[in-house]
Amino acid sequence: MNKFSLVAIVLLYYIPLDMFFYATETCNHVRFWTWNINIIRDKMYKTKGNALHKVDSLLSDGEVIDSSTERLRNLSKQGGTIIGYLYPHTPIELFLAHGLTPSLMRVDPQMSAGFEDSLQTFACAFTRNVYSQRAHGGFIDYSGFLFPGNTCDALQNVGDVWRQRFSEDTVLRLTYPVSPRSESTVSFLAEEMRLLSKALERQYGKSFSQDEYSTAVSLVNSFRTGAQFLYASRIVNPETPSYRELVGLVVDFMVAPVEGLLRDLDEMVSVAKSTNDAQGKAGLVENVLQGLMAGTPLQIHIEELPEHTRLLVLGGMVDPFNLAELVDGIENATANVIALDMLSFSFKSIFTPTVESSNNPYISLAKAILGAPLEPTQEGLQRRMAFLRQLLETHIFDGIVVCEQSFCDPDEFEAPSMYRIADEIGIPSLRLPIDPELSDRGRLEGRIQTFLETLEEDK
Amino acid sequence: MSEEKAYRRLETSQLLQQISFRHMLEAHAASEDGNLTWITSGFPVEIPIAMGIGVVYPEQYAAIVGAQKVGPDICGLAEEYGYSNELCSYARASIGATIKPDQSPLGGLPRPQALLACNNICGTVLRWYDAVSELTGAPVYLFDTPPIDDEQLPHHVAYVRQGLHKLVDFLAKKFDTTMEKENLRKVSQYSSDAIRLWIDSLEACKNKPSPLNCADRFLTMAPVVSSRGKDYCVEFYQALNDEVRGRVKDGIGAIRDERVRLLWDNIPPWFQIFRFFNGLAKKGVVFPADTYTHAWSGKVSGDDLYGSITEVYSNVYLNKGLEAKADKMVQLIKDYALDGFIMFSVRSCKRYSLGQMVTRELVTERTGVPGTIIEGDMVDSRLFNDAQIQTRVEALLEMFV
Repeated sequence: MNKFSLVAIVLLYYIPLDMFFYATETCNHVRFWTWNINIIRDKMYKTKGNALHKVDSLLSDGEVIDSSTERLRNLSKQGGTIIGYLYPHTPIELFLAHGLTPSLMRVDPQMSAGFEDSLQTFACAFTRNVYSQRAHGGFIDYSGFLFPGNTCDALQNVGDVWRQRFSEDTVLRLTYPVSPRSESTVSFLAEEMRLLSKALERQYGKSFSQDEYSTAVSLVNSFRTGAQFLYASRIVNPETPSYRELVGLVVDFMVAPVEGLLRDLDEMVSVAKSTNDAQGKAGLVENVLQGLMAGTPLQIHIEELPEHTRLLVLGGMVDPFNLAELVDGIENATANVIALDMLSFSFKSIFTPTVESSNNPYISLAKAILGAPLEPTQEGLQRRMAFLRQLLETHIFDGIVVCEQSFCDPDEFEAPSMYRIADEIGIPSLRLPIDPELSDRGRLEGRIQTFLETLEEDK
Repeated sequence: MSEEKAYRRLETSQLLQQISFRHMLEAHAASEDGNLTWITSGFPVEIPIAMGIGVVYPEQYAAIVGAQKVGPDICGLAEEYGYSNELCSYARASIGATIKPDQSPLGGLPRPQALLACNNICGTVLRWYDAVSELTGAPVYLFDTPPIDDEQLPHHVAYVRQGLHKLVDFLAKKFDTTMEKENLRKVSQYSSDAIRLWIDSLEACKNKPSPLNCADRFLTMAPVVSSRGKDYCVEFYQALNDEVRGRVKDGIGAIRDERVRLLWDNIPPWFQIFRFFNGLAKKGVVFPADTYTHAWSGKVSGDDLYGSITEVYSNVYLNKGLEAKADKMVQLIKDYALDGFIMFSVRSCKRYSLGQMVTRELVTERTGVPGTIIEGDMVDSRLFNDAQIQTRVEALLEMFV
């Protein structure tokens, strides 16, 4: 037996049949990545398919970051082109349509944010953490970085600093309108995306493929639809799935949006539906889902829900998995008390409307993005607060936790309005100044624990 | 040598007090008539003025709060209300004074009927005005001018211009008024005349000795920010320009013994504007140029006034990238024959300040002149470490000895 035969046999032993199937067809990009990531996932966790999120959920956040990094490294080694992005409302379908992998640049809790020679201490904690990762040699598998324009001053300026300090990097910019969805904002964002598409083609030599775009839209729409259901379902049954499992999967998808994750999602949805059916709550979940989708009052009453402490977590670009890990680490507490969050890398990304098919993909993408729940980076405080008021007036939440990321203007400006509304409705609130490194972890845990105990006593 | 002797006071200062007083009186009257807007410094003020709507500037008010050294108290009012002390002190001062006007200088700003924000100076203004809107019930109109990376692309122009038309519609509906083209032309002419005179006064500082120092410009810029578009604003700048050109003609400098010429970058620390710059004046340091007051330099003109407004207000200094900022500093250093520069890293102002570390290196590389960065705040004196700042400035000055 020659060396090649030996290698072939070994490979066939380890390679799943579906990968062989994919490898032998002229597969589109998304499918290419699907089998790639399956191999990586299987090898990494010595398990297959559905079990991944469960394994992930047992890892600490640092380990999850490590596994994400490893996964991307393998993608890169396989010849993939990875583009990092920082803003939740990134048109990931556009990148996939160019045969590129968009990947959320997550904060690393292990990273000590420094670099006062480049960024002052009052740059927001999110940007400082990500910048520090890059300065420490992180993100090496990324072939480019997409910065948002016109969202907040920190991201705007750090993009400029990045261009100067890491001049070897390809830095792209997608500028957003601040104003809500209208003909002019859709038109502006659509043109920004068209120009971005041209830039991607120039930079990476990969043109926009209508087929891959359609596949990407289908992938992202499917993921969002499933995840939207789970967010609604968790309000009724906060343990099915657990908060940590759900946001772990969401973050996984943002780091590498691949078809394989749909299997994990489908299983979660299936379990949740069975639980809801068994409890006769399917209709209730459907009502909640419709309310969340439309931003209208939730048709739900506290008497209809199983007894459980329910928190609503508010804030901007706080990593939801970080938060889950923090709460799970508290003695006698579980992150399942978070019945709903309205974080950027979670609810606000997931509840982006599905992309409609049309002759102009840029218009379709722009409409979807501008139809997402508004960020504090955008105009619309009144609308956002009206939605919050609607949620709180259901009285299904025992308390709110407002995460204020240090030196994040949008978060910090919006927080007082949230406290006022909660106060008016008579719902206790907890202010949680937080940074990606959880640098004051003991105090954060203590505050959450005390808050939970107070809520329990008040019940 | 006393402070007065090191520093020559402008005669025009008296006129400045009068014009500021008039501006505030007009604002109070407009508020009582239900006709007042609060407006950001980078907003196309020509539009509301041409439509007969009153304007007043929370940024200027916050500067007054700072200059009266009550920044920590007034910002503290906003903090007690839940706003983080990490937020912009202009915003905190304005919010604090809105919450408790009776505890604030001048009794706070007169109550607005609408809030007009343009994000060409920073993204904070939107959130700040939203907060004020919650407190006052006045609606916000955001004139969105997305930042420009290299050049302003056609879709940017179209989008901003559409916003301008929507602004006119918003004001017409809110204040039951109309936009008369002739009014806009007249107001734009006043605005351009004031800016022309202002620019000429700034450019007079290329002379040695410089006829104006930093504090002079920071104070005399007030009307060009708040009253451009008014006839009395032109009169003020004519008077200022006459005095400045007179100084040049007579070889009179803003300070008596000009030895070092520096560039100032960013907003000044209002709570010690005289102490800081006059202290340096005693050491022979003058600031013939700064990046802040040079920002009001775009003239609205031509047949297509909306097009001109779109261009002028999209292309302001702070709405451009780091490279453009470095280019501007380099140009000022060359044009004004400056020896070095001081960058004030203002914790409140991320748009202005983040990136200064890089800009400092770029500017020094391109000009060969040294610069230093000092950190603090423009209103909140709790964030200003005087001793540390003096040490840094001294270290820079030693390079010129």
